[in-house]
Formats: sequence, structure tokens, C-alpha cells
Amino acid sequence: MDNIYKPYLAEIAEIIDETPDTRTFKLKLKDPEVAKNFNFKAGQFAEYSVFGEGESTFCIASSPTRTDFLECSFKVYGKVTQALNRLNQGDTIGFRGPYGNHFPLEELKGKNVVFIAGGIGLAPVRCVIDNVLDWRNDYKDITIIYGARSVGDIVYKQEIAEWKARSDIKTVVTVDPGGETNGWDGEVGFVPTIVEKLAPSAENTFAVICGPPVMIKFTMPVLEKLGFKEENIFTTLENRMKCGLGKCGRCNIGNVYVCKDGPVFNYTQMKELPQEF
Amino acid sequence: MDKLRKYATELLQKGEVAAVIGYQQISEKRTKPIIAKTAEDCTKLVFNEYCLNNLAVYLTKARVKELRRMNGTVLKLAITAKPCDVHSVIALIQENQLKREDVHIISFNCAGVVKDFGMEFDGETLATKCIPCETHKPLYSDAIFGEEKETPKVSDEVLAKIDAIEKMNAGERFEYFKTEFDKCIKCYACRAACPLCYCQRCITDKTIPRWVESSAHSRGNFSWNVVRAFHLSGRCIGCGECERACPMDIPLSLLNRKMVIEAKEAYSYVSGRNLETPTLVGSFDVKDSDELFM
Amino acid sequence: MEEKIISKEDLLNLCKDVIGNGHTLITPGKTEYAVVKDTSEIVLDTTAKPTKASYKTFVFPKAEPVIYYKRGKNDVQLLDVDVKQKKTVILGAKPCDANSFNILRHLFNWDYKDEFYNVREKQFIVIGLMCKFSDEFCFCTSIGSSPVSDKGADIFLVPVDENNYTLKVVTEKGGVFIKDYEKYLKAGDEAKTKKVTGEVKLPEVAFDSKQVHEWLGTNFENPKWDGVGDLCLSCAQCAFVCPVCHCFDIVDEDYNYTEGRRMKNWDGCQFGHFTLHASGHNPRDIQGKRYRQRINHKFKYYVDKFGEILCTGCGRCSRGCAVSIDIKEIVSNCKD
Repeated sequence: MDNIYKPYLAEIAEIIDETPDTRTFKLKLKDPEVAKNFNFKAGQFAEYSVFGEGESTFCIASSPTRTDFLECSFKVYGKVTQALNRLNQGDTIGFRGPYGNHFPLEELKGKNVVFIAGGIGLAPVRCVIDNVLDWRNDYKDITIIYGARSVGDIVYKQEIAEWKARSDIKTVVTVDPGGETNGWDGEVGFVPTIVEKLAPSAENTFAVICGPPVMIKFTMPVLEKLGFKEENIFTTLENRMKCGLGKCGRCNIGNVYVCKDGPVFNYTQMKELPQEF
Repeated sequence: MDKLRKYATELLQKGEVAAVIGYQQISEKRTKPIIAKTAEDCTKLVFNEYCLNNLAVYLTKARVKELRRMNGTVLKLAITAKPCDVHSVIALIQENQLKREDVHIISFNCAGVVKDFGMEFDGETLATKCIPCETHKPLYSDAIFGEEKETPKVSDEVLAKIDAIEKMNAGERFEYFKTEFDKCIKCYACRAACPLCYCQRCITDKTIPRWVESSAHSRGNFSWNVVRAFHLSGRCIGCGECERACPMDIPLSLLNRKMVIEAKEAYSYVSGRNLETPTLVGSFDVKDSDELFM
Repeated sequence: MEEKIISKEDLLNLCKDVIGNGHTLITPGKTEYAVVKDTSEIVLDTTAKPTKASYKTFVFPKAEPVIYYKRGKNDVQLLDVDVKQKKTVILGAKPCDANSFNILRHLFNWDYKDEFYNVREKQFIVIGLMCKFSDEFCFCTSIGSSPVSDKGADIFLVPVDENNYTLKVVTEKGGVFIKDYEKYLKAGDEAKTKKVTGEVKLPEVAFDSKQVHEWLGTNFENPKWDGVGDLCLSCAQCAFVCPVCHCFDIVDEDYNYTEGRRMKNWDGCQFGHFTLHASGHNPRDIQGKRYRQRINHKFKYYVDKFGEILCTGCGRCSRGCAVSIDIKEIVSNCKD
């Protein structure tokens, strides 16, 4: 009997402690047949489980162009993430996916892309960044603006260093005022302020934004002022999802099931949704 | 009825209460709660044998408590409560969920209510909780309405059933309750309707660790129903709302009544009767019997 | 196949055969639809109130395992669940219940096919029975059905006189099933059936579902929703007794240090924690918002996605609500 609720098994190949409360897992699907045929698109998510604790929804944080590992990053909050935090390299978790829609990277080819992320919101955006960087010649100017509460809260430190080292993209990292340390050479200021300061051009440009609701709330007017059209701003909605299959009803908002019609939406679609997320 | 409505309207208009939690008639043999905030709302208030709900359940709800804040002051809430519902209000005060001066109790001379909506009220349809009732007049109140009437005399089937179960051995008893609890669908209507289940976060909502399984299988159902019974031991006043709310007809009144009997026999304690008495499980006396634990 | 007649006695004989053939027979009992072991338990009463609970638990169990797991040192073994369902006959389904499978099937097969539902539903034969009950909570006529509707039934029965039922084969599945019991069937009389069904008093139509659908699309922020949540006590009685509510939760349960199962359990959108995020944020934190979701999902979102109202008009939710919240009343107020 075909079982849509049955996960694949994945082994934790490597663990990176990004911050005191955020972790990244580099996973390898255990079944070689499954691993060989597995593919996904940037923006899709999966249900990761600790057997005995439950399932939790995170985006797939690695790019589909890099097939060594499937990566996910999570902040330790509740039952399942606390359990994930207790696991070690070599342990087995469940992986159900890929689910959801994806960023329309094909349509974005030939355009400039601005990535704006805050805190753990960099995880779903990083997948798109790496995907776009692997197809670098298909895109024009690339700007990455990332902000965290403090230096200690910055995730993907290694990836950010790699992005900063590239001369063909512009990478700006900022911390909230008060979050800087001695010798911090990045920006200091909230993300919306830095976006306004950098004033990326809206012409022929798409924006991909993800972060805490308050950051999005204050960045949107800045983007509007800079001339970004709503249908060219994409975000990923991390609503409470459970089954990922459009059945359990938890992520239903308006006519949309976030796990099926999303989690990637452009701003025009977001505004059409009833504001309950 | 008119006296009640006039009284309630006056309370609101004099600014003594923020709202009157009462009953309104929605069909010949059915009533429903109403939170009367205006004089017009008060014209709908009723009291009769179809007033089954225990309205004390609303006294601990945040959105109802919010109503008390009006124009910079905090007003009381009025509640129309049957004498048995008044026991719930007293129990809530005993447990420090309310202060006596926060609530204006409008009560009645009660001769019993019907078992369920839609039935004609007579001896056969008297609610099981009304059968052993000794408080036809409220123990505490700010106003009493209605004439005194005779309660129909009915045989106490719940007590008879409890006696029958007590005669069973442990295995038979377990099977009996397992069969009943197997019907449970974990809708938590019993918890929702109970005025004393006011925990902001019920034990079943706790996931770290998961104390009570959420699944509606035998084990999950048994854990939930037994945990709830234990959490109400010595507190339940026997209003029977849980049994009425249950869509699967689980005989919760057996558990409720048994708990009331145990508390009385072991500790001479009956919940919700006396504002001055500390709660059973909230107090300790060196002379307390150990029988229930040994 | 034209309409046939089956006597009440022969219907019981048919039931005896169904049980004798090893099939499962389900009929309305006191509280819910229940499996019948002996035909003496069968009570078919067209004037009976709908059962307190629907029969959806037979195709969508209140709690079921979806996988079993066994934890090793750092490996995990997964064991599949194999759903087995005997051929099952539901006898005496009210028209409001009979259509529930047609409505549920859309969701359980939307892109991903839920075989836990499909394997079971495939084995069901729904024998509907005309209904002569109506109370202040019924509203099947407002959602496009009626007490004499055979929609969703495989076979439909109408009590045409004191001793006989008219038996109409509605679907191919019903036709295949009834072949084994043809010996009990006699020629029918359509005119007689029409007379009986014509005499059934139809519940008054309470609202225009198309107009409600339109109103819902533009009134998300209407202050009417604030009051709607006042009385609700946030249990899930309404969702669980409903023949078509289908929200569920997936949780893991261990039974010892290494083994356990992943359960798929009924869940309700009226629970306070239904949309609670791990961060503590809750988009539907007050009852009015949650009730708004219930009405919108049933009368607008499901219609837009699958073309069916997620409601059968049976009124169980209102009849059983501890505080008598009436969905018919609320939907009837969904107008300017």
C-alpha cells in the first residue's frame, strides 16, 4: 500500500552549531536508490522527524545543484527541535519531502536579484542564493543583505565568508545596534535601515526576502519606496505545517494551503491572503 | 421571568455589573447561554427546567473577564445560576479563581432540570444529577427568584450503578470502564464544559514531556478520562455538564458521583458548599485519613 | 436497473446473508453508527434523529498508526502499516451522511493519494434511507441536498408502505453488490415511490449558499465575527461529530524504550493550540478568528478548491454543542 506518510531515512553526516540555539544538519539519504533519484527545487521544504518525538517542518537549506548533502537548519524551540538538538553525528532521522512550490528561478534568469534575510530566515534564502550562484551567468547583479540580532546570532558564518570573498556579488552583513563586538567590520543597523541605505535598484530586479515578521513589516515599505513591484518580491511563509500534503488542514489560510500552494509566494499573493499568519 | 429581566436590566443600567451571564430560550424545549450587555439582551433572559448549562464556566474565560473593564473602572459580573451552579462559583472562589465581591449571584428556587433538551419535563426525564440534590435553594446569592416547587421523586439509578460496579472485582471494573472509555473521541467537550477545568494550559496540551497521549485509542482514552477524574477529585461539584456535553454518551456521572461520595466519606468534605472552608486537596490536617492511599 | 421492491423481512434476510458472507454490517445505533453482529440489533427508523456522531470513523479512524518504528543504536527500522478492510455495508445512512464520501474523497486524493482512506472507502457500500426527521438544526436543503436525496448512496431505500421498501440502485458499485441478493427483489412501482418521497416535508431553506460564498469572500474583517466566538468553549465536538470535517494531527508515540508508532489523530480547528507556533505566536488566538476559519473553510475555501460545500446540513454540530452554537444561524447571518 502506497504510504504518503512514510518518511525516508536520513543519516546525520555532519552537525554545525551555527549559534547557541541554531543548528545545521548535513544529511545523507540512507537508501541509495532514493538518494540517486532524489531531486528538488529551491524553496521546497520537508518534514524532518525524530522517531518518538515527532515531525517538524523546515525548508531544505541546501541548493538542489549541490547533491552531496541535504541540509536543514533549525532554531531550538519546541519538542521536536529540542530532540533534534540532542542527536549526534551518525544518528538517523526521518525525512519526508520535498513538498511545496519553489522559487521561480527560471523566470528570474537575466534579472538582478536582491536577497534580504534576517536571523534564521537566511536558511530558506541560502538555498536560493547558492542555486543562483551555481547558475551565476544566468543572473545579472546579485546583492545579499543579511542581518542578525548580534554577531553571535549570525548563521552560516562560513557561507557568508565565501560570499563576501566573491567579487561578482555584493554581500552586506549587519547586526542590530548594540549587537556589534569589538572589531566588527560589518554594518550596524536594522535590516530595513541598511536596505534603505544601500538602495538597490528596482529596475529589472527581483527581491527574495525572509525573516522575522517585524523585519518584513518594516522592509516592505522601503522596497516599495525604492520602486520594487509587489509581484517581483518573493517570500517564503513558514506557517505551522504538519502533513505537508494538503490534507491535515493546519496550514490552510484563505483558499490556500501553504504546504501546497506555497510556501513561496510573491507579495501580490501574500496581500490577497487573509492576514492570519 | 419579568422580575428577573427587570432586575438584570437595573443592574446593568445602574452600572453595578458589566454583563449578566444568563440563559435565553431558543426553542420550546431548549435554552442557550447569553452574555447580556444591554437592556435589550436582558429581555431575553429566562429561567426554567431547560436551563441546563452551568454558566460558571464563563467566569474564568479571559474574554468574559475582559468585559469587566469599563471606562477606567472594573465592574462585577452577574450570573444567573441554579443552586448547583452556585456550588461551582463557590468552588472557584475557594480555589482563588474569583473573589466573592467580583460576582453578583442571581439564583433560583430550583426543583430540578430536564435530562436533555427536547424532552418533556417529568419524573422520567429528571436529570440524574438532580436526583440526590439537597440544595434546592442556593447557599449563597445576591438575589433569589422563582417559587419553591416539589422535585419529582425518582429512583437513584446512578447510585444503583455505582453499587453494582463496586461489587465487581478489579478485572471486571477495569473492563467496564475500558469499554466505556473506548468510545471517547478526545473532543475534550467534557473539559470545555466544566467550570473547574480552568487551567490555561491543560496537562494534555503539554508536549514536553507528553504526560497524556492525545490519541483516541484505549490507552489514550483511559489516561485522559482517569487523569481528569483525578484532577477533579474533591473538587467536582457534580453539575453533570461533562456528561451532557459528551457526544459519545460516556457515563461520566458515575465517576463524578463516586468522587463526591469518596470525599465525603473519607474527609467529611463536600466541594463548593462553604466559602470559609479551605479546599480538600489544598489543605492538610494531621488528622486526615490515610485510607484512600493505603 | 429499474426500481425494485424489497420487503422488510427480506431486507433483514439480506442483512443476515451479508453478515453470513463475512462482510461487515453497520447501521445507525443510539449514539453512533455501529457494527451489527445480529440482525435483531437493526433498527431502521426514518423518523429518528441523526446519530450523535457520523460514520466517518470507519474510513477515517479517530486514531490510526501510519508507520511503526524501531530505534536501534543509531539506526531506525520502519515498518509499514497495511490497511485491510472487509467489504462493509452501511445500512440506513441518512441522505446527509450518505454524501460524505463524495465530499471527503476530493481532499484525500488531492495530488497525494491517502491510501489509508482510499483502501477503506473502496470497500464500502452505502445503502441510504429516506429521512422523515427534521428539527431546528437540520438544513440539508440549504446546502443542495434533501431528505430524499440519493446522492452519495450506492443503493437507496424508500419505505413505500408498512411492509416494503423501494430499492433503487444508484451507482455501478451498488449494482454489482445487489446482484448477490437479487432473489430478495421484486418489481417496483416508481409512481408509488414518487408519492411517498413527494409527501416528505422538506426543511425550510435557511440561506442561499451561493450568496453566503460571495459574502464570505469580502467580509473577512467584518466585526460580526467578534461576537460569534463569545460563547464557544473551544472543544472539538463540532468537528469530530461532523461527517466531513477532516483535520488531523500527526504525533509519535513510543510504547517502550525503542519501539513506537506514528499516529494520525483527529484534530479540530477550534482548539486554541491548532495554529500555535513553537515561537508562541498564534495567528488565530481568539475564538472569533477560529470560528471564522470554520465557516470560511466549509462554505468558501473548500467550494473554491473542490467545488463542494464542506457541510452536509445534518446539524449534528449544533444539536450536540454544549452551548448550543447553531451553525445554521451563523451562516444565515453571513449577509449584509
